[in-house]
Amino acid sequence: MSEVLLHAEEIDKNFGVTHAIDHVSLDFYKGEIHALIGENGSGKSTFTSCLTGIYHKDSGEFILNGRQINAKNQVDGNYQGVAIIVQEIGTLSGLSVAENIFLGKENEFTKYGVKNTNAMNKKAQELLNSYGFNYIKATDLIDKYNFEDRKLIEIVKATHFKPQVLVVDETTTALGEKGRKELFKVMKETKEDGRCVIFISHDLDEVIEQSDNISVLRDGVFISTVKSSEVNSDDLKKLMVGREMSNNYYRTDYNEKVSDEVVLKGENLTVPGEIDDFNIELHKGEIIGIGGLSECGMHEVGKALFGASYYRTGSVTLSDGTKINDIKTAIDHSIAYASKDRDNESLVINDTIQDNICLPSLEDLKRHHILHAKDEKAFAEKFAAQMSTKMQGVHQFMSALSGGNKQKVVLARWIGKNSDIVILDSPTRGIDVKVKADIYQMMDTMRKNGKSIIMISEEIAELLGMADRIIIMKDGRQNGEFKRSEDLKDTDLIAKMV
Amino acid sequence: MSKLQKFKESQFFGLLLLVFIAFVFWAIFKILAPETFGDFNKLQTYLKTALYYAVGGCGLYFICVMGPFDMSVGANIVLSSVLAVNMSKHFGYAGLLIAPLISGLLVGLLNGIIYIKLRISSLIVTAGLSLVYEALSIYATNGKEAILAPSYRAFGDYPWNLVLALAAFFLCGFILKYTKIGTYTYAIGSNEVVAKNMGVNVDMYKVVGFVLCGLFVGIESILTISYGTSMTSASNLASMSRNFPPLMGTFFGLAFKKYGHPVVAIVIGEFIIQLLFQGFVALGAPTTIQNVVTGIVLLVIVTMTIKPVKGAVVK
Repeated sequence: MSEVLLHAEEIDKNFGVTHAIDHVSLDFYKGEIHALIGENGSGKSTFTSCLTGIYHKDSGEFILNGRQINAKNQVDGNYQGVAIIVQEIGTLSGLSVAENIFLGKENEFTKYGVKNTNAMNKKAQELLNSYGFNYIKATDLIDKYNFEDRKLIEIVKATHFKPQVLVVDETTTALGEKGRKELFKVMKETKEDGRCVIFISHDLDEVIEQSDNISVLRDGVFISTVKSSEVNSDDLKKLMVGREMSNNYYRTDYNEKVSDEVVLKGENLTVPGEIDDFNIELHKGEIIGIGGLSECGMHEVGKALFGASYYRTGSVTLSDGTKINDIKTAIDHSIAYASKDRDNESLVINDTIQDNICLPSLEDLKRHHILHAKDEKAFAEKFAAQMSTKMQGVHQFMSALSGGNKQKVVLARWIGKNSDIVILDSPTRGIDVKVKADIYQMMDTMRKNGKSIIMISEEIAELLGMADRIIIMKDGRQNGEFKRSEDLKDTDLIAKMV
Repeated sequence: MSKLQKFKESQFFGLLLLVFIAFVFWAIFKILAPETFGDFNKLQTYLKTALYYAVGGCGLYFICVMGPFDMSVGANIVLSSVLAVNMSKHFGYAGLLIAPLISGLLVGLLNGIIYIKLRISSLIVTAGLSLVYEALSIYATNGKEAILAPSYRAFGDYPWNLVLALAAFFLCGFILKYTKIGTYTYAIGSNEVVAKNMGVNVDMYKVVGFVLCGLFVGIESILTISYGTSMTSASNLASMSRNFPPLMGTFFGLAFKKYGHPVVAIVIGEFIIQLLFQGFVALGAPTTIQNVVTGIVLLVIVTMTIKPVKGAVVK
């Protein structure tokens, strides 16, 4: 085995009463892509955040190339040889592309307090060109670019100075095919250069394919390091969860008849630049999957059906004839929607779990026109428990929860509301296998209870495993429809996506 | 991107739009009141007023971009102006220039430090401190009107008002474009947490924003007292009405930020507001009508420029 590049010694971190990382020691080698996996809340991101200066560890030390490092913030981490590409957006609107790339490093272009903006722009453009991103202009405001391009800019920002250790934290879920290719290219170059990549992903097949070694964390504790060539995804699931995963991961039925009763009908739905003449009929007790490439318009369909798409034309009609043109009407008529952008569009992140669960049900919780704190608490506790949410209590703030537990709160909210039609956009995005299994189980139970679900997903296996019908979209239009069948293959779906 | 789209996003288009809006208002009032509005001499007078409000608007721009707000601008103008008068009696032009700059800086520094230390809304902090600054202005004048001696009024008229205002505008533009302060101002306004993770000392740069605001308000005070020649101390937040004229220019700066020249937008924006005010005066419209129409026009211009997306979160 090659030389140790980074040694983590007894890293420990607490958030209040939560022991996020419990004395974790790990070695990372030169020329290695080292994956870090675990359930949501297992401490992966906290560990790498401590390394790169986003958080400050409580105790322990990181030794890089024989020298102790202690990053005060991300830029300080960069100067000490570590960098991170984060899951969510890490660039700042209102600044130019060049200013974003060199944010915190302006001193490299500053003399006597005066910033040489031209030199900074020139250098940034050279870097962008060297990565093959010539179409991105260093002088442009970053606001002009879409999410994926901004991620590519982040890749340049995090890697142009050739950090000794590059952390890629759940970045691939935010990227399309092009972005992933670019990211994997950079990871490969980093490895071949004798440096190291710490790769965090919930996509276990991707983890096995891209990494050399895999370390598993569970509840903040280091479990094991295994060679990627010697394990399969089932072995990893077992290590992550601590027991064999049930085989009932997805639905196992294939011939159940779906009711003829149409509960929701979308006709000629069009949102300029997003979707074009989309039609759908959702039946009682049915799960419809909508899939496609990330920019195909499927995410806008969820919003359009929920009345949250402001430039929509066409109609959404319920079985009783009610037209859905706004969010309030949708919620009042038992429609629920969980957005892909969980933190910004689904949750009130600076509020408690209780308030988040109770929010759409406040009218139902009133007694004699008055809300009672006890009732709200009991309501929130009941549905948080039903979703097995890992928390200190319903008064805990949402911001302290891991991604998977946040999603559980979103779902608990709508189960509490007892919605008949549930629109789930990327319900398992960035979520570990155990929570995934819980969510699939919940969807199956809802279906059996006569609830109807529209599941928008970029995961083909999920569409095949859970949906009664699958609609594939391409360039904003419906490009194919498949009925649930054992014979249906992922290649059938992919053929209609590209 | 089409050529038209590119043009519509260019700096030149932003500038053209501002000039066009100014021209339209000038033309409308010129047609309605050809004798009493908008000849060359009158335009110079409108510009004179617009200049000193625009200097204050530049200062407010730093903190409005970052997110907080400063309700003490009016009190700062009153205090800095009366101190300028007092110091000019002892030190001549040196006193007139230096006293309001120091006073403005100190007011900004105090605002910033207390805002950061108390961790409460900047609105509350600066409104509360306004009472203190007003009280200090009463102490400085013994409750009497402070009158600037005629021999020290050069900055109240051309060319020195223009020289001082242009120096302030260049300073503001330079800080925004060619120093870290400018970059960090926008970074903090965009996302404080990410900015902090990038090593930006958010608290320190917020204080710097308040200090710069105070400095520019200090310069505005020099122009205000030189042009108006006298200042009465204020109490019971009477100075609040002085907050709003510079703020209108800041609105224009924020709305035209995307075109890359907020300072130019602040200056032309203040000039547009003056055209409106003076146009109504020329028409003999009552003050209440002037205020209603000016307020509505300001909202329309800013809304049309920003073109907010339906459903976008606006705070």
